[in-house]
Amino acid sequence: MSLLRLDDVFVNFGGVAAVRGVTMRVEAGEIRGLIGPNGAGKTSLINAITGIVPANGGAVVFAGHDITALAPDVISGRGIGRTFQHVELFREESVLDNVLTGLYRHHVYGVLAAITGFGSARRVEDAARREAAALLDAFALASLAAAPVSDLPFGIQKRVDLARALAVRPRLLLLDEPISGMSESEADAAIATIRTLARERAITLLVVEHNMRVMMRLAERITVMHQGAIIAEGTPAEIRDNPAVVEAYLGDEDDDA
Amino acid sequence: MALMTWRIALQLALSGLSVGSIYAIVALSLAIPFKASRVLNFAQGELVTLGAYIGLVLTSYGLPYPAMVPATLVIAAAFGILIERLFIRPIVAAPEFTLVIATFAIGLIIRALIRIHWQDNVFFLPAPYAGPAVPIGPLRANPSYLVIIGSTAVLVALLVLFFQRTRLGKAMRAVAFNETAARLMGISVNRVFGSAWALSAAIGAVAGLLLAPVVGINPELGHLILKALVAAVIGGFGSLGGAVFGGLLLGLLETYAGAMFGAALKEIIPFGILIAFLLVRPQGLWGATQVRV
Amino acid sequence: MTAIRLAHAAIAAAALFALALPLFGSSYHVYLGELILINIVAAVGLNLLTGNCGQISLCHASLMAIGAYTTALLTTRAGVTYAAALPAGIVVTTLLGASLSYPARRLSGLYLALVTLGFLEVVSIAIEEFSDLTGGVRGLKLVKPELAGWPFGTNTLYYFVLVVTALAVCGGWNIQRSRYGRAFNAVRQSAIVAQALAIPPGGIKLLAFSIAAAFAGLAGGLFTAVVGFIDPTEFDISASLRQITFIVVGGLGSVVGSVVGAVVLTLLPEALRGAKEYGDVVYSAILLGALVLAPKGIVGSLASLHSRRRAAKDGLP
Repeated sequence: MSLLRLDDVFVNFGGVAAVRGVTMRVEAGEIRGLIGPNGAGKTSLINAITGIVPANGGAVVFAGHDITALAPDVISGRGIGRTFQHVELFREESVLDNVLTGLYRHHVYGVLAAITGFGSARRVEDAARREAAALLDAFALASLAAAPVSDLPFGIQKRVDLARALAVRPRLLLLDEPISGMSESEADAAIATIRTLARERAITLLVVEHNMRVMMRLAERITVMHQGAIIAEGTPAEIRDNPAVVEAYLGDEDDDA
Repeated sequence: MALMTWRIALQLALSGLSVGSIYAIVALSLAIPFKASRVLNFAQGELVTLGAYIGLVLTSYGLPYPAMVPATLVIAAAFGILIERLFIRPIVAAPEFTLVIATFAIGLIIRALIRIHWQDNVFFLPAPYAGPAVPIGPLRANPSYLVIIGSTAVLVALLVLFFQRTRLGKAMRAVAFNETAARLMGISVNRVFGSAWALSAAIGAVAGLLLAPVVGINPELGHLILKALVAAVIGGFGSLGGAVFGGLLLGLLETYAGAMFGAALKEIIPFGILIAFLLVRPQGLWGATQVRV
Repeated sequence: MTAIRLAHAAIAAAALFALALPLFGSSYHVYLGELILINIVAAVGLNLLTGNCGQISLCHASLMAIGAYTTALLTTRAGVTYAAALPAGIVVTTLLGASLSYPARRLSGLYLALVTLGFLEVVSIAIEEFSDLTGGVRGLKLVKPELAGWPFGTNTLYYFVLVVTALAVCGGWNIQRSRYGRAFNAVRQSAIVAQALAIPPGGIKLLAFSIAAAFAGLAGGLFTAVVGFIDPTEFDISASLRQITFIVVGGLGSVVGSVVGAVVLTLLPEALRGAKEYGDVVYSAILLGALVLAPKGIVGSLASLHSRRRAAKDGLP
């Protein structure tokens, strides 16, 4: 059973078919790339998987359950996490608080316990802070724990975004343009981090990128979208030599966003 | 018996349309700056009140009615420009909370200042058309009602001309449609904003002057902004025609409900409609759709 | 002295002052103190809803009125003891506040403001309509409450209100520091990001509205004990705006800000000694000034300054 299965998914957006009949399977443990020129429908597809946008046709099945019509927060709770292309951190909050917010679902206590501040609330909060600290350590963010994220450089913000997404303890992590905006060296470091992450934590990754070079280094299998549909799927080598892919990218040369 | 019922119905329609016309005018004055600058002016009610008091002051200085009216509109427009320049422009890009609360605060300041000076006294503004009811066919029409309805029709016609034919009106429409494109076309967006607020203050003053002979001038005149808001919600905030329709519809519904079910229900009906629309169709009948979270 | 130590010292000093007030102050000072405490309770609740969760509410004063009327009617007309009437008032307002969250689920700021405005109006109309119950516009005269058969003395009432307020402030502080406070802040900033973190915006808004209403109900119930009379015009839109002024000037999203704002802005009109209208002008002018010039409020501005200084010290860009 594939971890994520998309069956003939359609997404309409403002009268345009942003996603047209996409069928794909992502297996557990994969690092799958989703690539395509701007406007290919990648973001709409991600939004349909996470439930932000309703699928107008077809089904999204995660770990054997149909999640097509579920609310986005329920889908996240089932184990699908995501990062955001433009980071979308809680700007005035600290690095630690951003990551702690991601742990909402995993360290639970009731409202009354929260108000009184005793007992279970205190214990669970401590456990949450320990897990958050561990995540910060894993991303070399520990020294910045108290810093407000708006003060931090973009590359570090991306790391915070990633740490926060991992706080949700996802089985499937959708990375939306994780390398865009990074310098060459930052990109190298990020790619290495992402690969290690996937292996150590047994997380399946679906990475959206429009930069072909980055994708080649990061993904094990790549799905190529163009104008809402899948035009190719295969290993990086197969994709690189695929004439349909080359043609889709003509005029949309390797831009380092 | 049937003639009596028809007569009552028509009589109610007359007062309903007249009340509704006031709502329509105020709803229009809300819609114009909203379309231009995306700000809903919760102080609009107080601009109506202000217009009435300006008229009062000018009249007390001996200005005859035909001169007082345009003078009031001009002064009110000046206030509109002042408010926009001083308080709204600095926060025009602020989050919605700030804009909502700021306009409320402005309204409260105006109302409190009026109260400090004139207390809660009710003043009557003598209007040349006010007088006893005039018989029209089977109906007896309060001439003030007729003037209100007629003025609203004239105002709407003038506004249509303004937006279709004048440069400023077309510029306002351009800014409402797409501010960036308008800027690129060389339209001074700041001037359009100022003009929109001036226009809406003047329209508010019209409502104030029309109300003055009917209900008297008092600091609570602005309370009707709530009804105007309901009208704007019914029509949809982006739609000027919707504002007029919403106002007239609300006036009629309110009047008939009051006659059929009593005063208490008459008060509640507008808010029942408001809540119903906000729950089911917040964009109103003709408004833009981007309202949901 | 570091900023934190300074803040702690200030809080300790304020607490001492509050405890000692009946000893050196006149009965008027004590009454004023009680009003400040009631405003603090209302402000803390509103700040959680608006400052943290980002939901505009123009009817907070109405909810306080409902709490006041419920508690008052139960004690005055139904002979219920204050100890039971106060929680009952809180329950009633909490349920109403919770129902307000339903429109909030799908409506953004402006339209939510309209719903709360509509609610405010409906409550005003209801108070007038049911005048045999509420006393209508003439107001409701109250029986002085008693606890376990003993009437409150001047000082015991003050300490009662002080203790209840302190507990409420601690409760608000705890919520804000808890997972729920973080969820409030997340929903305020981005419903989409919140959902990506498995936080349900609808449920969180429900919680925020309920908690704010509970605080309003508590403030209203305390009001009935402190003031002998409910004047419905005290709970109109300008009252809601006054409460919003407390939290904007004090600092949105900060419990300390709520306290600071409530204290400063309740004392201010006292210093001015004018009619209600002067109070309205001053409040609104301060509110407007804060919104345009210092939207972070007192506490927010201080906190920003502090963290910028810390960051500079740590050598961050």
